[in-house]
Amino acid sequence: MLKWILIGLILVVSACASSDGGDPAKTVEQYLQAKVEADADAMRPLLCAAMEADLNLEARTFESVSGVEIKDMACKSDGNTVTCTGEIVATYGTENTSFPLTAYSVAQEDGEWKYCGEAG
Amino acid sequence: MRYFAPAIRLIVILLCFPLLTTQIKAQAPTPPPTITSAHTDTVVYAGPGDSFHQLSPLSAGLQVEIIERNRVGNWLHIQRLREDGSAIVDGWVMTGYLNLDPNLSFSDVPVNTTIADGDPANIPFLSVQPLYSAPVIPTVSPAMVDVYQLGQSLGNHADVVTKVGDSMSADVLYLGPLFAQDNYELGPYDDLEETLKFFGPSLLTISVAARIGMTTYVVFDPTWADKAFCLPRESPLDCEYRRKQPSIAFILFGPNDVRHMTADEFGVQMRMIVEATLEKGIIPVLNTFSTDPNADLWWQSVDFNNMLIQVGAEYQIPVINLFVASRPLPAYGLEADAIHMKHSGWTNLKYDSGHESWYGTSLLNLLSLRMMDEIRRTVGMG
Repeated sequence: MLKWILIGLILVVSACASSDGGDPAKTVEQYLQAKVEADADAMRPLLCAAMEADLNLEARTFESVSGVEIKDMACKSDGNTVTCTGEIVATYGTENTSFPLTAYSVAQEDGEWKYCGEAG
Repeated sequence: MRYFAPAIRLIVILLCFPLLTTQIKAQAPTPPPTITSAHTDTVVYAGPGDSFHQLSPLSAGLQVEIIERNRVGNWLHIQRLREDGSAIVDGWVMTGYLNLDPNLSFSDVPVNTTIADGDPANIPFLSVQPLYSAPVIPTVSPAMVDVYQLGQSLGNHADVVTKVGDSMSADVLYLGPLFAQDNYELGPYDDLEETLKFFGPSLLTISVAARIGMTTYVVFDPTWADKAFCLPRESPLDCEYRRKQPSIAFILFGPNDVRHMTADEFGVQMRMIVEATLEKGIIPVLNTFSTDPNADLWWQSVDFNNMLIQVGAEYQIPVINLFVASRPLPAYGLEADAIHMKHSGWTNLKYDSGHESWYGTSLLNLLSLRMMDEIRRTVGMG
């Protein structure tokens, strides 16, 4: 009996653990967070195959500004599109600049949702 | 009465004196507008740049004749000869140090097209020398005629220019609406008026590819594209070129990039930008950038500027050599932050007071306008 309870627990934990990877909105949120942190290692597994060549560019686009953070990010998925609200804010010198979040494409590859750039 | 006679005589003389001097003045020939003088004791160089040998200074007020100018017009060859033909003064001076006649017209001043803009032999550092070998305003290569014709076949607008770059390019006083205003004062640069009127109106519209914080990476990232103007997945560069379909793009990167990447990485990115520009039939105009030798990133900036010259040569595209042109300006034409170009305080194009010898933004706009003029004449626009 105990064995079956343990197996059941393991299955539940596994399901919970994989739920992030299975949620396209979560993938986009994680990707955008990694991008503003210029964390190429965190971005790489989240990027779709079609955009692999863009990893270096994607990881370096916020290196010229400081204080980069995402404010009020909320993403919702609808099929292969994830629509986010909120904005990326940054500072250059004494000037603030912002980048509104938009709709993003996602693609499922090897059972995982991957970020695939802006939708459209 | 006799006591008053001397006084009356004095009054008569005083009354007649202005009439006499007026007559003398009227008889003296009016000097041609090419006669000028310096308003302060001024360094004279053997060529149109501060890398040339210094000659004897020009004393304030001494009349000299303008013999010729450089291609830009911001350096003038002045001369004063003795009766035996030997020179009292014979060399080059920047316009901003001279009391130029308001009637002086550069259309009437011969252009020395053969003299170099710098003398690398006088530059002690090997890595800096190549920058002094490159002209401030290059001649336009035949390859650019082909690019222009490609652009015309793609529907580009001959009279539209745009700008691509970081905060220096985003500056509204650089290649901005002031080019479209009627209150310009070109001073002696009358020969640029036609070009100003041809391209000026196109600079009323902002460039979505010129933004604070922009780098040679960022310009390809749709995240940085203004969503009010750009399509999804469209980079700022593609967006700008689609919106305006220009014939010329002034591309100014470096001061920001130098803080974040190597010269080789910068070269890779610049080549990508150049290729993306050429394939759309747009003539890319690169710019070297000004930098202060006392700044932390001086040597890196020299490498970046050398890379810009190299990329320009590879693609036979024009490179404005702002680095060399800005050397003689106070603080190299830079603001106190040693990054951005200094403003004159005027918000119109003003070239009747020698601002191009004092303020970086005035110089940069003049060089850009001269480059537009060279391109327009060479490829046959308008």
